[in-house]
Amino acid sequence: MRNNFLKLAASASLVAAVLSAQEAPLPGGSVNINLPKDSPVALLAMQSDQSRTTMRGAAMVIDLHMALRLRNSGPNHIHGVTLRVVSQEVTMGGKGSVTIPSLNIAPGDVFPVRIDMQLVRPTQVAGGPLVAIDLDGVLFDNLGFYGPDHLNSRRYLTACELEAQRDRDYFKRVFAQSGKEGLRRAMIDSLSLQAEMQPLTVKVRRGGAAVTAAATAGQTTRFAFVRIPGSPVEPVQGSAVVSGNEARMPFVEVRNTASRSVKYVEVGWVVRDQAGHEYLAGSLPSTSLNLSAGDTARVSQDSTLSFTMGNQPVNIREMTGFVTQVEFADGKVWVPARQSLDDPLLRKVMGPSAEEQRLSDLYRRKGIDALVEELKKY
Amino acid sequence: MKHPSQATLALQAGGDLGFLARWRTQHHLRSCERCRAEVEAFATARRIASDLAEIPELPWNRLAAEMKANIHLGLSAGECVRHGERPVRETPLFAGARAIVAVAGIAALLVTGIVLERPAPVTTAVADDGMVVQATSRGIQVRKGGQELRLNNPNELTPKDTVLYAPDAQGSMRARYVDPESGYVTINNVYAE
Repeated sequence: MRNNFLKLAASASLVAAVLSAQEAPLPGGSVNINLPKDSPVALLAMQSDQSRTTMRGAAMVIDLHMALRLRNSGPNHIHGVTLRVVSQEVTMGGKGSVTIPSLNIAPGDVFPVRIDMQLVRPTQVAGGPLVAIDLDGVLFDNLGFYGPDHLNSRRYLTACELEAQRDRDYFKRVFAQSGKEGLRRAMIDSLSLQAEMQPLTVKVRRGGAAVTAAATAGQTTRFAFVRIPGSPVEPVQGSAVVSGNEARMPFVEVRNTASRSVKYVEVGWVVRDQAGHEYLAGSLPSTSLNLSAGDTARVSQDSTLSFTMGNQPVNIREMTGFVTQVEFADGKVWVPARQSLDDPLLRKVMGPSAEEQRLSDLYRRKGIDALVEELKKY
Repeated sequence: MKHPSQATLALQAGGDLGFLARWRTQHHLRSCERCRAEVEAFATARRIASDLAEIPELPWNRLAAEMKANIHLGLSAGECVRHGERPVRETPLFAGARAIVAVAGIAALLVTGIVLERPAPVTTAVADDGMVVQATSRGIQVRKGGQELRLNNPNELTPKDTVLYAPDAQGSMRARYVDPESGYVTINNVYAE
């Protein structure tokens, strides 16, 4: 009996040894952080000691846990940062980014950026840095921008900043008119809406070919539109080829109703299923446009989106679109006004802005007084 | 008494047995004088052959042939002597401790598989060769074939924390959450470009 127990223990030890042998710390030089010499942010420290590589069959899984500490080394307050994360050896050009909007970092101040990523790649790929992290853009308090902007960070950070200013102003007004109790109610409303949002899972595949055989024969489904007051661009018509829970090759024709040329339009996309539930499915961004005043253009993408919830397909019955963002030729950005989002449909399906999410989280964690103090900083 | 085969004894003499077989054979040799003698004979033969290799003037080929013949003769004689004896393994293959070890091994394999496969993607897998971006139970990813790039949400997030996923039809996916450590909104984005 004792011998049997010893044999069992020996076998378990052997298995444990094999398992532990598969995991290894990340080799030195695996992460390359590139900040230009004139960058307004400087890298103070980078910690990645929790990163690991693990063999999984013929593939290598690399878990990267990076904690960066950046310092504002420029003369302006920083209100947003985007770091580009590229792995040339993985996903054939696929890349990622980490954006921190709604910042308020004074010159000389330090702020953290955390990047948790996982790479799966064949083991036979040659050596070199696994990941390169570049600065794609920094947005300042005066909406000035620094960076190569490979990922259109300027437009995105500017839109986030405009939404942040809009929503801070809104909550300041609520506080001024209704005091802490009014602000508390507004925060509870926001948190309730966030909790009620249906977590639709969307998979995007580039190219219009159907993902499943059932989707090969789809029917053209037209968009209905919600008009956003004050929008410089209006949707005219649009459709997608829909089959079951897949929508292919969506397009929306838009008209520039402003007096300035437009170079980018983004259309929000809501789907309604057979049971009448509505979900924000995503957005339909344009490629680079040159849309003069009064002209129309076609916003389209050659892609297939499939929608599921809890692994169950969400079959599309109707689709609704609305303009969520416009960039003019001069680089200025338009976002909807706060009151425009009071439309019942938009209120239900659209999430909060990044700033509203931050403020409501601050209220949830630290209470109303902390929130009031935060609003007073702006 | 269960005796190892002649081939096993010959391999034992040359130190060519695997770990478990060597341990089992040594265990047997401790209590079997006859097998010990045979192993010794094989070992002697190996030594002689080795010594011969250092004497170039000897008729090497002839001696090697003789040695081979002697070994074959020994093996044949051994098999004649063992005719009718019980096989080495008399008990069933999977019984007692062996069964426990086998079950433990399978269990360890299953646990390993589960650990290595986490996180389980929220969506069902679709077999295609194209580049796909999607949300998973822990974040967002872009994948093509067997290659993946994932940006994960922090482990510290609780069900009370809101994570908003926003795909676009161009082939990118965002995940937005408030970092519990810093309090900053963080927006991860993967692109299929």
